Amino acid sequence: MADGLRTIAGDDLVLSTPRAMKVPLAALAMPRVLRLPLAGAVPVVTSLPLLNSAPAVSRYRFPRHASAVANVAPPVEFAQGSAVPDSGKEEGRGAGAVPRLLRTRIAPPGDVVRMEERLFFLLQPDLESLLRSCRLGFPRQPFPFQLEGMAFLLPRHGAVLADEMGLGKSMQAISSLRLLIHAGEARRVLVVCPKGLVSNWVRELGDWASEIPVAVIEGDPQKRRWLWSLPDVAVKIANYESVVRDREMVAELGVSFDLVVLDEAQRIKNRASQTSHAVRSLSRRRSWALTGTPVENSSDDLVGIFEFVAPGQLHEQMSPREMGSAAADHVLRRTKDKVLKDLPPRLNRDERIELTPEQRETYRQAEEDGVLRLADMGRSATIRHVFELVLRLKQVCNFDTATGESAKLDCLQSDLEEIQASGRKALVFSQWVETLGRLKTALGRFGALEYHGGMSTAARDEAIRRFKHQKEHSVLLLSYGAGAVGLNLQFSQYVFLFDRWWNPAVEDQAINRAHRIGAAGAVTVSRYLAADTIEERIDEVLRKKRNLSEAILSQTEPGEGTGLTVDELFALFKLPPPARAAAA
Amino acid sequence: MQQQGNESSDPTFGFLTTVDSPTHGVFGGYLVVDAGGRPLEFHCTTPLKVSRAQQILYGATLQGHLHGRQIGAALLAEGGAAPVAVLIDSEAMLHVRSHTLLPVALVQRLSGEEGSGGFVIGGVTVTPTVTPGEKGDSQSLRRLLEILAGAVDLCEPFERIRSAIEEAQRH
Repeated sequence: MADGLRTIAGDDLVLSTPRAMKVPLAALAMPRVLRLPLAGAVPVVTSLPLLNSAPAVSRYRFPRHASAVANVAPPVEFAQGSAVPDSGKEEGRGAGAVPRLLRTRIAPPGDVVRMEERLFFLLQPDLESLLRSCRLGFPRQPFPFQLEGMAFLLPRHGAVLADEMGLGKSMQAISSLRLLIHAGEARRVLVVCPKGLVSNWVRELGDWASEIPVAVIEGDPQKRRWLWSLPDVAVKIANYESVVRDREMVAELGVSFDLVVLDEAQRIKNRASQTSHAVRSLSRRRSWALTGTPVENSSDDLVGIFEFVAPGQLHEQMSPREMGSAAADHVLRRTKDKVLKDLPPRLNRDERIELTPEQRETYRQAEEDGVLRLADMGRSATIRHVFELVLRLKQVCNFDTATGESAKLDCLQSDLEEIQASGRKALVFSQWVETLGRLKTALGRFGALEYHGGMSTAARDEAIRRFKHQKEHSVLLLSYGAGAVGLNLQFSQYVFLFDRWWNPAVEDQAINRAHRIGAAGAVTVSRYLAADTIEERIDEVLRKKRNLSEAILSQTEPGEGTGLTVDELFALFKLPPPARAAAA
Repeated sequence: MQQQGNESSDPTFGFLTTVDSPTHGVFGGYLVVDAGGRPLEFHCTTPLKVSRAQQILYGATLQGHLHGRQIGAALLAEGGAAPVAVLIDSEAMLHVRSHTLLPVALVQRLSGEEGSGGFVIGGVTVTPTVTPGEKGDSQSLRRLLEILAGAVDLCEPFERIRSAIEEAQRH
């Protein structure tokens, strides 16, 4: 220890003044004595605080088994009135298993202000871990942005998921409500959607949450009353018209929901409309709105949607900047260009469309008559007879031959409105030129152009040129025969298969007009299928055969390989296969 | 000192770490999770700032004293549930062993083989600080940690603690 400096036991440092000085002995003959006045001298002491005092500790405790999907924020009332998972082994995980490498965090919403509540969200495991621990897998692997969409929806009482069409808003909403239901945070969920999309929601719920009971609000008033008050159905689906019509009934029954999801929420952009009033009158704790076009015409559209999602949060007097800031925490909007970076992913949407009642009746009559005729023909019925019946039925699925009604057209128009509003382009394929003609007439406001073998080469080239360069033409109608090959239409982001070809490979060729190198972004393919019709039966068979040799498939004539074998064609109508000699 | 680890049918796990903030000093955070990785308790400290004189006087012993005794011990003293082990992610925090009866294990994301006395779970090396005579305890700990690792990556809860401390600083 240096002279004049010492430490004492413990943690404090003590500095003392020097007690003696050394004097060189050789300097003087006689040493000079220096006297220092020691008596009463107290050294100056300086203490440095070392690390003895423990820091203050803040404590937070959370309920056991709670998770981020649980509702930590106080419920907001609107309206009027697993076993142990595996040890990290990757083997055996299906394509739809929850990914281990991704880590999607559930961040606290901006309106959660209490420190304890914010920490509760931040300290949760990532969404992938939560899903694994709940043993909730997916039928198909979600994109990372879809998991982020779920992490956005889950903690929010009011949310607008405004992803661009085709990014899977329904799937994100379904997976999120599924988690809420499994966490016991939602027992009564209502999905409100346009009439034409009800069957689509039923199908998607079956795909993404097959274990959850679903009921569709439909039928006469007595049945609807019973359906509205059904206690044991976790998810109910109603179209907007039903909600308007049954508004008083629902209020009278005192039905309330833990979550109401509005699909195509732009339907309530007009706050004065009956639809908006009816939807806002639903008693609910959580309000989620799904829309690809939250602002169609003006920023007031968003105010209308927010009256459902977070009443009072926005008002018309706000500047766009103020509105954007006030809405930011409630709105999630992604476009394909932003979330799908690699060469364009192809997003498939199988649209199962319910025929209109009149169309259904025409279809039923045509099928009954056709099957009876085939049965009467007995063993003399050939593959050509069956094929003709199939074609006749498929045409009814497109347009009712008696009334001209078309459920598919209604759905297509709805989709095209959104596409046109976003300035995008769409291709629509059909196997019939006649169908293309009817579509062109009906889709005049979208600047529909035709492209098929009945046109001259010059006319076809001109159609492509106009479609490519003129903004007012949002849709090109093509026949599979002429339009499936040789065209580069990668500036189109949407492909609709209005009816289905016999051979999936031809459909792929058609789709690849848009989905190819140089594509401006992801391509959304909507395949229309009339529910409970021959189209659905053919699709089922083709799905099963997709991996079989293409030798049995054909793009042209029946009997030479239609994608279906002779036996399969007869089986579509539950008819016994023809005698081999006849088939040959 | 804290009670010994609880190996009941409902095991819990502690995660203890520090966050060094250039402006505020060193924060400590202690997160207790269940076997599914869900949070049960969280404790965090006010920051401790070390002066230049303290750095000089403690020399090489500073980090161990600061992390293990000052911060780690204070946090473990606040813990309610006794976890089956306290997992740490820095060697400096190993000094907390002197202040708790709970098993302490160092977890590090390493690409190599199991070290002496350690084992690998899900790409993470776990080195329990048990004496050679307690090998049985190490095996038991390994089994329990494998359950937790089935739900979450063993290094991941430390990230949560850091996020939570950042959030606490903002408020």
